Amino acid sequence: MVKILYFGRLSDRTQCREETIDLPDDICTINALKTWLGQRHDLGDALNLESIKTMINQELVHGNESIANAQEIGFLPPVGGG
Amino acid sequence: MVIISATEFDPGAHLNSFMDASQNAGAIASFIGRVRGEHNEVESLYLESYADVTERGIENAESEARARWPLIDVLVIHRIGTMRSGDPIVLVATASEHRRSAFEACDFLMDYLKTEAIFWKKQTTKSGSEWVEPRAADYQDNKRWS
Repeated sequence: MVKILYFGRLSDRTQCREETIDLPDDICTINALKTWLGQRHDLGDALNLESIKTMINQELVHGNESIANAQEIGFLPPVGGG
Repeated sequence: MVIISATEFDPGAHLNSFMDASQNAGAIASFIGRVRGEHNEVESLYLESYADVTERGIENAESEARARWPLIDVLVIHRIGTMRSGDPIVLVATASEHRRSAFEACDFLMDYLKTEAIFWKKQTTKSGSEWVEPRAADYQDNKRWS
């Protein structure tokens, strides 16, 4: 099970701020997850935009990382400032 | 110290406690940010954070401020959740021996909070809601410290 978090404008698109999912076995990288979630929530390419940052277990990752050890994955649109 | 608060806070009370705890400081600078009225058009402002990640980021900014200036103490309180016009959003207080360090560190921390801190901000007006991002001027301000 992995907890997926959607922040800011992304949560408007997914209609939820977080969800805990038992992912299919073949979803084992960030890119595969983005595609799978995109279809699940009808997001188009919203998760693939360059401005969306990804965190695995609260650490920023770049590129198509493995999600084998992920307990929590966050998708972060550009921050709005305080 | 960094506090992310989901409920309204009293900046005056926190500032008094901060002053009491920083007896050796000859200078204390503070900044209070509030929800702007925008000609009474803003009905509410909603701020979202990423729990520990947001707090860690602000703590890192505090460490950087302490490395740059000889600070005796630092306090950052930042609201999340729904706020209305006039509600305090942020309090930054810095204590130092002399005023220049206190002023500059306070300014530095506010520039971090306005552009880099991990918050998402949704503004609701009579015509609807929208997610707001920093203005070009905010980024320009933040560049002063690099």
